[in-house]
Amino acid sequence: MTSAVSTATQPGRPATSEMVRRLPEYLTIWLPLLVSAAHLVSFSLWTIWISFTPSTLVPVSGWVGLRNYTAVLASRNWQIAFDNLLLFGSAFVLLSLVTGLMLAILLDQRIRGENVLRTIFLYPLAVSFVVTGTVWSWLLNPGIGIQKLVHDLGWTSFRFDWLVDRDMAIWTIVIAAVWQSSGFAMALFLAGLRSVDADIIKAAQIDGAGPIRIYRRVILPTLWPITITVVVVQLQFAISAFDLVRALTNGGPGIATQLPALVVYDLMFQRGQLGRGAAAAVLMLLILLAVLLPYAAWRYVQRRRSNHA
Amino acid sequence: MPITTTRRRLLAGSAAALALPAFARAQSAVKPRLTVISQWSAGSDGAAITALGKKFEEKGGTWQHSPVPGFTTEMMNKLRAQIIAGDPPACSQLKGPEIAAWSKIAPTINLDALVAAAGYEKVVAPDLARLHKPGGKWISLPLQIYSTNMLFLSKRAMDKAKADKIPVTWTDFNELAEKMKAGGVTYPIANGGTRPDDGQKFEASLAGISPAAYRAAIMNLDKKALEGPEIKAAFAQARKISDWMDPNVGAQPYATNLKRFIDGDMGMMIQGGWAQGVLRNAGFKFDDFTITPGPSDNSKPVFLLNADAFIFWQRKEPDLQAGQTLMAQLVMDPAIQTMYSQITGSIPVRTDVDLSGEGWSDGQRRTAAALKDAVANNQAVLSLAHNMAQENGLTAAMIDVITEYVKNKTIKPEEAVTRLAEAVEGAR
Amino acid sequence: MRDRTFAPSRMLIYLVVSLFAAAYLAPLAVVVLNSLRTNEEIAQASMIGWPKQLAWRNYAAAWSGFCVAETCAGIRPYMLNSVLVTIPATIFSTILGAIAGYAVSLWRFRGDNWIYGIVTLGLFLPQQMRLLPWTIVLRDIGLINTLTGLVLIHTIQGLSFTVLFCRNYYVAIPHELIRAARIDGAGFFRIFWRIILPLSAPILIVTVIWQFTHIWNEFLYGVTFTTGQQQPVTAALIALSAAIADIPQHGVQSAAVIIAALPTLLIYLLGGRYFVRGLTAGAVK
Repeated sequence: MTSAVSTATQPGRPATSEMVRRLPEYLTIWLPLLVSAAHLVSFSLWTIWISFTPSTLVPVSGWVGLRNYTAVLASRNWQIAFDNLLLFGSAFVLLSLVTGLMLAILLDQRIRGENVLRTIFLYPLAVSFVVTGTVWSWLLNPGIGIQKLVHDLGWTSFRFDWLVDRDMAIWTIVIAAVWQSSGFAMALFLAGLRSVDADIIKAAQIDGAGPIRIYRRVILPTLWPITITVVVVQLQFAISAFDLVRALTNGGPGIATQLPALVVYDLMFQRGQLGRGAAAAVLMLLILLAVLLPYAAWRYVQRRRSNHA
Repeated sequence: MPITTTRRRLLAGSAAALALPAFARAQSAVKPRLTVISQWSAGSDGAAITALGKKFEEKGGTWQHSPVPGFTTEMMNKLRAQIIAGDPPACSQLKGPEIAAWSKIAPTINLDALVAAAGYEKVVAPDLARLHKPGGKWISLPLQIYSTNMLFLSKRAMDKAKADKIPVTWTDFNELAEKMKAGGVTYPIANGGTRPDDGQKFEASLAGISPAAYRAAIMNLDKKALEGPEIKAAFAQARKISDWMDPNVGAQPYATNLKRFIDGDMGMMIQGGWAQGVLRNAGFKFDDFTITPGPSDNSKPVFLLNADAFIFWQRKEPDLQAGQTLMAQLVMDPAIQTMYSQITGSIPVRTDVDLSGEGWSDGQRRTAAALKDAVANNQAVLSLAHNMAQENGLTAAMIDVITEYVKNKTIKPEEAVTRLAEAVEGAR
Repeated sequence: MRDRTFAPSRMLIYLVVSLFAAAYLAPLAVVVLNSLRTNEEIAQASMIGWPKQLAWRNYAAAWSGFCVAETCAGIRPYMLNSVLVTIPATIFSTILGAIAGYAVSLWRFRGDNWIYGIVTLGLFLPQQMRLLPWTIVLRDIGLINTLTGLVLIHTIQGLSFTVLFCRNYYVAIPHELIRAARIDGAGFFRIFWRIILPLSAPILIVTVIWQFTHIWNEFLYGVTFTTGQQQPVTAALIALSAAIADIPQHGVQSAAVIIAALPTLLIYLLGGRYFVRGLTAGAVK
């Protein structure tokens, strides 16, 4: 971006008439950006402030120190939610990454009906999380879904009851989430595969490399930047997963599939403990930062390197 | 007391209300209008509120209902947003201790004069009245009552068990369940898998074992009672119940299993009267099941009170004020309560409504009789699972423990007792 | 791989792809089949099954029959509300995002990286957290219970996404193009109209698809910041699934889900090809 056209670094100050003439331009650039940035900063600060107040049903002023934080951190709900986030987050990201990459590679083989197949893998993105959660809660429910169907067909010892199994229920959320969003990963990877320089591949083929070797040595290494983008986008999805979980398990069986976003909403709006809910939200933001800061650092290093190159 | 005399008195009450300056001015000058927020949108709930709105319009009012479908939380979000915006609805659905909590964040109107004019206080169960007049003033009006621990018995499951005795105590209940199991009923208990469903299993157990312990531990949060032997016994009974339930229900609502219940594939259901409204709307016959008060070890009915109510928010607009007066009068009107309960399967709040006539079911009659008995014996307590006993924060913390216990059979009853006490401590 | 050089394994590829396609289609198939079964039929068998006879009346009930409290007009009026919010919010957030992305990428100005960074961080701020602040903001500007208020929220929140993707797309445009135009005396808007916009089709399709589906499928703000008659289609769907006072209406519910998802499905169907193409050009940077 070093060669970008620059207005801010032009020598000298623009004349006042110039400023006036370009006012519409400044307004259209700055107004949306500033409003958007302002709402994000002020909403975050507001939430941080609320997390230190004794707010219950509605926001009130006051100061309770870290009491809301200690209460949230001590609650079983949050502890379970946090553990689940680690498991769900890593399993979901990994699986949608693998699924997406695999589908992209398969679709990249100049196969017949690519348009149709791509649409099939992408359409879950069009469906709302609530609907996804509801439909999967039908399919995965052993009493009315797949297990029931198989039983009715005669295989009565068949078991697929993860939805009602405390230890496995979190995996049903992984399944539904991967189903819904691996198409996005596929699209990004496909985009990446399509932008690999054909000459490099040709050269490798001339050197006698087989397809698997070409993928491993030539193509996949170029996909690193995309992989990072996919991971960040999917992690973002994992951390804020809400509607899907609420419709699929609603945190159950018991409280076995609680996730931070559910806890935040529950505390803030169902339990009427706004201060605690805000504290949980701030903790969520901290988790997000823990993910995003390394990413930002990586981007920074990468950009420096490419600028020097 | 027969309906007719009450109605006459109510008319007199309306006249008395007219004499009150603020209301009088409002009522004579403008067409009453009412803005209402509720979550009642589907099934019998939706049908009942719609019928109420029609009555409101018949009386010359304009009915502006804003249903918020989904969980109660979304309804409260909407209400909160309106209150923060300084534009509360004239009237909204709210229940239990939340009435007191919410009345602190926005001004409500004092309904004392209207309640007095209708003679309403005398015909409302005292525990219930208390919830709707925090600080001694009526600001909200209960509309209908359910008992969350009514016992529904499937006719066909009873036949399979070759049983005809209706269980009275938990021992009877447990014996019947075993008989049903032996007689080929796959699951003696028909259940849903939602949080209130799980909560009901526990609260029915505890209240049936000891209403006094329920009152002390759940309603008054007495530390000693919370760790008492009755709580442990209740958890043990809840475990028995959960052993007889279909483990495959997941988070599906109880209504998913109604057909299996009627077919006798499932035997008993611990539910509120709302299930009756749903069963009727689904086309099932009342001969297919029996409704009786939930098990009680002292053989006298225990009533776990759950009441839906409206709270009235202060508005300056004369037409809304007139609408509030009209709405309050309608809600307290025995004819309206009759209409409402006959749609939803509840019983009227008024204890003086005669349920012997057509349009009432045996189940409703037994529920009303149970309420009368329970109030007389001090055995009417407030439901935890349906947010009547405690504010939502505390309720949710306790239900967390209960739902985990119901779904996780490795948790021992004594462990659950400790966890429940800890949850109460943590949420206070 | 661009060649058909390893033909023997192609059967395997088709097999694997078909299996995946089947798995991805299964939930849709179940919903479509259920939309043609009566509620009773579903209750008596399982959620997965072939319709005994096609219950087309589910669609009639879903479209204009079922009641949300006193309004018995099916999903139709709610669809209209969603259209009224989704289309303007999609257009505004896309246009503003395109202009801002263009400015940030090609007209560097002081602090642009900072403000761009903050705006894109918005992608990660949980919705639940923003509900109350939005309530206060809408109150202060007098837009609570208006569809305009919802359009405003979705436009501002949508900028996080549209700015991110448009900027990444425009960064790749050769700066010489812009420089030449400036030497010819073209200003900010002229360059945008004449040079940038004609090049933008792929990325605008991506942002339009993304924004449209997200706003269309939103529920929380949609019910909190509207009154009964303005609620979005998601509210009507929830009314059908809340089975506290009703036996499950799975047949009608499935039909309603299909109808409500038609606009977004159609968009993916028509725009899917461009979605990948736009991402190729945009998000990959």
